This record gives sequence, structure tokens and C-alpha cells, in this order.
Amino acid sequence: MTAAVRARRPVRALLVVIALAILGVFPLVFSNPTTTTIAFYALIFMVSASAWNMFSGSSGYIALGHAVYFGCGAYALSLLANHLGVAAGWPVFALVPVAGIVAGLVAIPTGLIALRARRHTFVVITIAWMFIFQLAASNLGFTGGTSGLQPPTPLWGIDTYNRNFYYVAAVVLVLTVVLTWVVRRSRFGLQLLTIRDDEERARGLGVRVVRVKLIAFVLSAIPVGMAGAMYAYFLGQIFPQFAFDPLFDLSIALMAFIGGLGTLAGPLLGALVLESLQQYFTVQYGASQAYLIIYGVLFLVVVLLLPRGVIPSVEELIGRWRTRSAGSDAGPEEPGRTGDVVKAAGVR
Amino acid sequence: MNSTALAKAVVDGILTGGVYALMAAGLTLIFGVMDIINIAQGALIVLGAYMSYVLSVHLGIDLFLGLFITIPAFFVLGVGIEWAFMRRLRDQDRAAMSILVTYAVAIIIEGLLSVIFGVNFVQLHASYTDSTFHILGFYLPYIYVFGFLLALVLLGAMYYLLYHTHFGRGVRGSLQNRTAAELIGVNVNRVRALSVGLGVAVTAAGGMVFGATNAFNPSSGYDLISRLLSIVILAGLGSIGGALIAALFMVTLEDVVAVLWSPVWATLVYYASLIVVLSFRPNGLFGKAAVRAQ
Amino acid sequence: MRRSGWMWSCATVVAIAGLLAGCGGSSNSSSSASGASSNTASTSSASGSGAATGSPVVIGSSLSLSGDFSADGQAFERGYQLWASDINKAGGLLGHPVKLDIVSDASSPAQVVTNYQKLISSDHAKLVFGPFSTLLTVPASKVVNRYGYAFVEGAGGAPAAFGNGLHNIFDVSLPVIDNLVPFAKWVASLPASERPKTAAYATSDDPFTQPQIPLAQQIMQAAGIKTVYNKVFPAEVTDYAPIASAVASSEAEAVVLGSVDVPTVSAFVHAFIQQHYNPKVFIATAGPDQGGDFVKAVGGAANAEGIMYPNGWYPGYANAASQKLVSEYVAKYGGSPSDVNADVAEGYSVGQAVAQAVAATHSLDNAKIISYLHSGQTLNSVQGPVKFDAKGENGAAAAFVFQWQKGQQVQVLPTGASGSKPPVYPKPNWGS
Repeated sequence: MTAAVRARRPVRALLVVIALAILGVFPLVFSNPTTTTIAFYALIFMVSASAWNMFSGSSGYIALGHAVYFGCGAYALSLLANHLGVAAGWPVFALVPVAGIVAGLVAIPTGLIALRARRHTFVVITIAWMFIFQLAASNLGFTGGTSGLQPPTPLWGIDTYNRNFYYVAAVVLVLTVVLTWVVRRSRFGLQLLTIRDDEERARGLGVRVVRVKLIAFVLSAIPVGMAGAMYAYFLGQIFPQFAFDPLFDLSIALMAFIGGLGTLAGPLLGALVLESLQQYFTVQYGASQAYLIIYGVLFLVVVLLLPRGVIPSVEELIGRWRTRSAGSDAGPEEPGRTGDVVKAAGVR
Repeated sequence: MNSTALAKAVVDGILTGGVYALMAAGLTLIFGVMDIINIAQGALIVLGAYMSYVLSVHLGIDLFLGLFITIPAFFVLGVGIEWAFMRRLRDQDRAAMSILVTYAVAIIIEGLLSVIFGVNFVQLHASYTDSTFHILGFYLPYIYVFGFLLALVLLGAMYYLLYHTHFGRGVRGSLQNRTAAELIGVNVNRVRALSVGLGVAVTAAGGMVFGATNAFNPSSGYDLISRLLSIVILAGLGSIGGALIAALFMVTLEDVVAVLWSPVWATLVYYASLIVVLSFRPNGLFGKAAVRAQ
Repeated sequence: MRRSGWMWSCATVVAIAGLLAGCGGSSNSSSSASGASSNTASTSSASGSGAATGSPVVIGSSLSLSGDFSADGQAFERGYQLWASDINKAGGLLGHPVKLDIVSDASSPAQVVTNYQKLISSDHAKLVFGPFSTLLTVPASKVVNRYGYAFVEGAGGAPAAFGNGLHNIFDVSLPVIDNLVPFAKWVASLPASERPKTAAYATSDDPFTQPQIPLAQQIMQAAGIKTVYNKVFPAEVTDYAPIASAVASSEAEAVVLGSVDVPTVSAFVHAFIQQHYNPKVFIATAGPDQGGDFVKAVGGAANAEGIMYPNGWYPGYANAASQKLVSEYVAKYGGSPSDVNADVAEGYSVGQAVAQAVAATHSLDNAKIISYLHSGQTLNSVQGPVKFDAKGENGAAAAFVFQWQKGQQVQVLPTGASGSKPPVYPKPNWGS
């Protein structure tokens, strides 16, 4: 490890501490209900984008069907809460992890089938799954059909309501980020990266490609299921076309891209910025038809100017600055080099 | 269930399948040649429908004659999109980035159309849009038959272009291996630009037929794109003939299930059949075996 | 890319900071900005004459001004604004001029929740009006309930909206489930030799249309009308032709179509024309109510002839306030009276109900308004009488059925109701 990289560690740790502090006190400082609502949505998307990135960012397989897991989590929470007669309020939150597990279980068969395909086909299969689930939810009796389901509504006051949901979402976010960090740092994570770079070579080196991909896929579905559950509980209503929403799929992919695909902080940043801006935009300017044009143009501009996303661009910049000032080789770490591939396969 | 209804469902499926093949043709070309997942295809179809609308309503030009204007215009648009956006995508992340970029393009198109035309639904009309051929006890609407024939003509032309011309060889060469193609003197950038132009040009025709058979507004593109992607993948990337067959198959299957069972489950069967077929033939019905990424 | 990358990152951080400050910040900045957003239509909201003085009362609403429901959302906005300008001319609410604060939710439930929070807590709206569609009404009503506000709306009438244990929700329009009853009863009452012998029921997969069909089917089957087709189709179909063909193949003499918009009905009409299928009677739950847009879509008044649709209102409704609304609309937005969308009247009625509650309780206090509206009083509106039951549904709402006759929308059912003209039956063949 180069000196420059070692020097970055305390800076990173400091940034993490600051971020956690902000996360913790945010709703207390900015207590306006509009802000806390938007913050809650931002957290939901941060969880989802981060989890999505854990799979798609690292493996290179772009999944556009994670709404399946979002929706399954939402429906799982609503069905369980209603059938088990769980009291509205804090008890229902206990169902959030359960919803995550349900989503993970659903990810096993859907993932197995999708992952047999090559990259382009994989994308379309994930989309197809999304529509299948949406149609099933709209037409099966126990899912409430097109009228959807309503989980119990907690009887909290305005501020308490938003704050409680915010903190639960914040906890889920921290857990998700820890998960993505652990995966990234582990040998498993390296194996994923080698699959992205060259699947055939990875297989040749002994990486158990199918198993690795599937595990990553299922792991990425669990937080998304939890996000869906919290979302349904917050709104107090779940309809099939909003639970299984193709726009959700595109949004989380966008957020991860803009932040920086494959990075840890990228999806967080992307989700935070995109969701907040979108909500804000719609409230202030949604009434004008030009809103869509502005939104699209902004997108395009950001994507074309920062094709690798914000975080990698910033890192690159810092790296270049260090090169100029220190005069030593301090380029950004390149994942997927041969040494890593060999390590990932467990070969010494 | 009486057999007339079943027969009608098959006939409807074939005719509508032709319309879908027309809409998907451009997509398969762009997807196959450029490695680009064009999410904007739905929006482009709607744009084509609106262009035909303007020509028909404000200038009184017949829907099919108007294609002589819209198709070239779309060709230029396609080349422009390739030059402005797609060329900037690096080859490595091309597929992934293309989703973002084309999604943004789709939103911009929808926004522009909303501003210009408003959100109310319109439909393309002509004196013949409700008339039908009466054959063997079936009523076959002119517009669907013409659309089907147009699909055959344009798909045939594309096929000829790709397999029997110098240009087409260049296109197929760049699909296989960009570096090798460049080495033998193919101007890959030009080939790509022209391919996208071609793909988008055909979409203008798809837009017109779509607009004549459905009421539409600027948001109508979303429902289309997922079906078109399914058809293209089922066919196998870059396969023109495959796109026609896949479209006919999928739409007919859906229509038959709608009659035999129920329309809501028919759509589910549509997507499920896609998954089933892809499980056995991961490259699509007519796709080539794995092409090495460039 | 280096410098621009750095700039973008800085800009992002600054943007987030500014955004948070702006969102949660003082009410001044956000309400003046939202004043700009409700500017889209015109400046009529607070341009009252000298009769309305005193501090303005802000009434907030979230509407679908883009996205799936935008056509209806815009019609609702016009209804709200016409009401606001009328009430201001008449002295405002208890002397205070009304200022409308309308924000867009892009037909998204998550957004609608944010919007009502903003309207009430940031923009300090004293009262709120509802959004468009049951899909948005449910989450909105829950968040508004947390603030203790009354939630009067005109477009969330499906059963899913009620019975959630909320007491603050009031729908001024006809409960959706009863929409087709006058039609079914009339068909059942026709003499046996004229009555259709068979019926086809096709409905979109939608919480608005699906509940309407079973009741109508029950009444018609009891009168001996055999069901030969009864299917649900997905809401997001791109091609209705096979479904319409199947209906045509059934050769049913009556067609009951559960549609939510113009494209659906139009697709069926065109398919029926192409298949040379002429049912004796054809009713569609939504679409034909959209006036000129509907006629254009189906290809002219001749094709629209005889098509029926249920509604709580139409431009020709013989009610003085309603007629005044129609002429004001035409004066302001142009077009002809038959182009006035029923959504406009629904929006206007919401305003009227609230105004009457405010006048009766002499206060702008939401708790008082809620208990007044639940007290069983009958109120007036351009859609007819309004009387809320315990669930918040309007039990006194009139259910009319209209029919297109010679390019005009004519009230035909119930046959005995005042203003009803005889229905055209059987429906003339296409192209005649």
C-alpha cells in the first residue's frame, strides 16, 4: 500500500464520523415536517441505491428489476401486520427485517433464473420479473388486487411520526452501508469485481461464479425489501403500480451511476442529491410543463460531464493534486488487477 | 370459447405483431450494433406519432405519404443523437451508461412534447383508419394490414442493407470486433452513426402506425418500451428477421391467452414466456453465440 | 474534466445546503415561490374586488399537473380557481380573501405526502383541498389527518378511500360504486321485447372501475340479461384490439365498459367499427365525459352518437350556479360549453362545501368544520345536493347517466329526473 493511501485513512474515518453525526442530529436541527419527509425518502433511496450498487456496481450486471424486492417487502409488511393484528406504532417496525428476509427469499429463484443469462439479456429478464410481479399483485385476491393494502396507521403526531420513521430508516441505512463495506473488503467482494472485469477468466481461476453472483444478488435484495416495507408503512397505503414501479428501478440505477458506480459513498451521494432535488423540484416547479425538460437536461449534463460519477471524479482529482504536490505515484487504486484476481481465487 | 374468437385472436395477433415488429426494428439494430439499450425508443415512437400528427392535421398530408418527410427527418435525428450522446460513451461501460443517457433523452422528449402539444390524448385519423378488408368472414382493418406490409418492406430493406451491401458488412464487422473492423478499413464511427440513423428512421414509421392504432399523449412511451425490449431480446440482438418472428409470436400468444383465459393473465404470460424461452436459449431465438466484448 | 469535476462536487454540496435551508426555512421564501408555481393558470386567485379585505386565507392543494392524471389535474385546478375568484368577489371567507396555493405531485403518492406537509407546515395553509384520484387521496388523507385538518375532495371515490378509520375525509362527488346503477335499472326496466338479451362486461384493472361492474351486472342478470363476456384487462394495455375483438365476437347486445380514460373507449369504439359490431346499447364509465376530446378521438359526432356514460354532472345541468360556472369557464378558457370537463365542477363543489361549512360555523377552525360536515346537513353545489355520511361519502349525490346525441351531451337517466330527455335506443349503427 502506498504512503498516499495510508495517509487517506484518518481522513476517511473523520468523514465517516462527521456523516454519522449529521445523520443523527439532522431531524432535530431541521425539524420542518417537509424537510424530514424528504429526508426520509432520501434515506429510503440511499438504502436502495447502496444495496443495488453492492450487486450491480461490483458485478457489472445491471439489474433493472429491484422493484420486485421493494414491492415484496412492502406487501410482506402490510400482509403480516394486518393478518397478525400487529398494533400500530413501534411494533410494526419489527416486521421490517422480516420483510427484508422475504425479499431475499424471493430473490433466490428470480435471481437464479436471471443470472443464467448474459448481461443484456439479464437486464431484460429483471425487467420482465418486475412486470410479472406487478401484474400478479394487481390480480391476486390476497394482495388486495388493484385496491392494494393498507398497513395499520400509527397514531403519532406530525413531528414524532416523521422523526420515528427517519431514525428507523437511518438505522437500516447504517446497517446497509456496513454490509456493503464488509462485502467490498472481503474476498467475496474481490471475486465479484473480477467477475465484472472478465467473467471467463475469473471462472478459469477457480472463482465459483454462479454462487458468488447469486449470493450478491440476494444480499442486495434484502435492504431493498426493508426499504419497501418502511415506505409502505410510512405512506399508509400500497398499490401494485407504486410498489412495483419501473421508475424506481431506473432511479436507483441513476443514483448509483451519478454518485459513482462501484464506490461505497457514490450511491449515497447520488440518492441524497437526486431524491431531494426531485422532490424539491416537483413541489416548486412541477406545475410548469418545462419541469421535465429541465430535469432531463440536468441529467444529461451531469452524466456526460461526469461519466464515472461524482466520487470517482473527485478521487481522481485529489489523486492528481497529490501527484503534483508529492511528486510520487499516488494514482487511485485500480480494482481488478491480476494480483487481486489471484488473491480472490484463493491462490497464494 | 368459440373457435371464431380464437381464430380472430390469432389474426389480430399477427397483424398487431407486425406493428410491434416495426417499432422494435430500430431498437434491435441499435442494440445489436451499438451495444446500447435505447430506453428512448418509446419516446421516439411517440415523437414520430406526433410528427405524423402535425403533418396530417396541420398540413393535410396523408399519413403514409408523410413518411417521406418523417423518415429522413428521423434519420438526421438519429445521426445527431449518436454524435452528440452515444459517441461520448466509453466502450467499457457502454451498455450501462446507455441506459442513463437514453433515459434522460426520453424525459427530454416527453417534456418537449408536453410543452408543445399539452397532455391531452390525440390519435391519427385518415379516411381509411376505420375501414376494413372483408376476407373469409374476418374484418381486417386497413391500417393494420398496411402497417404489417410496411413492416415487411422496411424490415426487408434493412435486412438487404445489412447482408447484401458493403455498408452492411461494415456494420456487422463492427458488431463482431471493433478493432478488427478498423484494421480492415471500416470507418467505425461513421458506420455507427449511420446505423443509429437508420434505426431511428425506421422508428418514424413505427410511430405513425402506432399513432394510427392507439390514442397517445406524451407519456405513452413508457408502456411500450418494456414490450419492445422483450421482443428484441427474445429475438436475439441484431436479428432483424428474428424481431419480426418474435413480435408475431409474443403478441399472438398474448392475444390467444387473452381470449382463452383472461387479458390480465395474458400480459403476465407474455413476460413469463420470455423468461422461459431465455432459460433455454439465453441468446434469444436467433441470437448468435457469445460475442466477445470490445 | 478535472476542474469541472471539482466544481460540480462543490456545487453539489452547496446545492444540498441551500436546498435544506430553503425547504425547511422561513415560510416567506417558500410561499412566495409557491405563489409563482400556482401562477400557471392566471392571477385570478386573489384578485378579488374591494369586497374581500383582511388577511388572506391560504388554501392548499396538491394536484396532478404532470404525469398520468395531468388532464384531470388541470381541470381540477381550473375548478378550484374559478371557485376562488367567485368567492373573493362575494367577500371571501368570513371577509378574508382566499389565496390558492396549488402544487404539483406529478401523480406520485410519495410526492403528495410531501406536498401536504409543505402546504400546511411551511406555507401555513389554513385549509386544504384534495388531490385527484383515489390512488393519491389515501396517502394524502392520512397525512392531513395527522394535522387535524379537514380533507374535502372531489375525486377519490373508490371504496379504498373510505373506511380507514379516518373521520376527516369528505368526498363531494358520487361514490363510485353506484355509478352504473341508474343505467342497469333502466336496462332492466325495458320491455322484454326491446331489452337486450345478452351483455358483455369488460373493465380495466383499476380501483375506480372494477367496483362498479358487479352491482350493475347483478341488476341486469336479475332481469334475465345473460352475461356472455366478463373479463378484466390490464390498466396499462398498449393494444386493446384483441380485447375489443373478443367483445365483438361475443355479439352481446349490451356493452358495459369499465374505462378510465379516452384512449380506452376510443380503442374499443374503433375496434367495434372495424369489426362491424353494433351493440344496441353501450355505456363506458369514463372517457365520454371528456367532451370535445372524446368526440375527436372517436372520429366525430356520428361515432359518438348513442354512447352513454355515468356522471354526477354535465355542462347542461339545469342548476343556476352550474350554468354560471359553465359560462365563467368559457369566458376565461374559451371553447364551448360542451367542452367543460366534469372535473371542473367537482373542483368547484369542493370549494363550495368548504365555504358553506366555514359560513355555518363562523370559523376557519378545521375541527369545527369536520364536525359540521358530519352533522348531516345538506349543502348545495354545482353538482347538486351534498350530504356526508359517517364515512364521508356523499349519500345525496345524484347519479345521472348521459348520452351523446347529435354532438351534444344530454342527460337521459334517471328517466323521471328533472331535465332528463328520452334516451336514444337502440344505439344507431356505426356510420349511419
